[in-house]
Amino acid sequence: MTDCHDGQININGESDIVSVRKTTREAARSIGFGVTDVTRIVTAVSELARNVCLYAGTGVMRWRGLLSHSKPAGIEITFEDHGPGIPDVDQAMRQGFTTSGGLGMGLPGAERLMGEMEIQTEQGKGTTITVRKWLRAI
Amino acid sequence: MSADSISVIRVHDVLLITVPPDPDDETIAVLQEKVLLAMQRFEAKGLVLDISTVETVDSYFARTIAETSSMVALMGGNTVIAGMQASVAITVTQLGLTLGNTRTALDVDRALGMLQTAGLRRIQ
Repeated sequence: MTDCHDGQININGESDIVSVRKTTREAARSIGFGVTDVTRIVTAVSELARNVCLYAGTGVMRWRGLLSHSKPAGIEITFEDHGPGIPDVDQAMRQGFTTSGGLGMGLPGAERLMGEMEIQTEQGKGTTITVRKWLRAI
Repeated sequence: MSADSISVIRVHDVLLITVPPDPDDETIAVLQEKVLLAMQRFEAKGLVLDISTVETVDSYFARTIAETSSMVALMGGNTVIAGMQASVAITVTQLGLTLGNTRTALDVDRALGMLQTAGLRRIQ
């Protein structure tokens, strides 16, 4: 059952954003997220995948199901690129800040939609962003 | 989803466009141009964008829709976005997006009604 609960997809351009959304939608559904959380997760990855395209050109998305007491408990998604890095993470996390002429919603918005976000970045080396969302305990 | 699959339907003076379920950036950009050219060709007074099958509205999509609505307004038309799914409305708002001044309706029927009312008001 947990065999297929991880995967990865390469991001080589904007046309791959649709595949990223599709893969993530199927993954989040299979883990047991409801329709609203699936929409939140898919929208967050759409923003993060677009950032990869805009700033780094290419990258990779990896996802895996998170377990708790051997039951599905959440999803973790990582975006890794070898782009220019984020010069000022605090600034990038501010609503409305952008260096690409976009809306500046991507990073802060994705964090709000997912709940957990970690950013590792080094100028000239690249950026790794990890987001997590947990199934709501019932 | 190919951009060719987007159809523009004319209902009296109004254009009805159904946005495909998971459009890529290119399709959204093509849709914008298609809408504006159709506005000119059919001398339409308004535009209804049916997004009832759309499952993901991210910042690029929202920005392009808001932009399209502004462009249609420059051409003297009104735009109504119809049929946004509940989960999309929740997500778009939490993401921090707005559709600018674009008007919205629960479904296409109500959207067409809004545009007809707008037309009548102008005549009076």
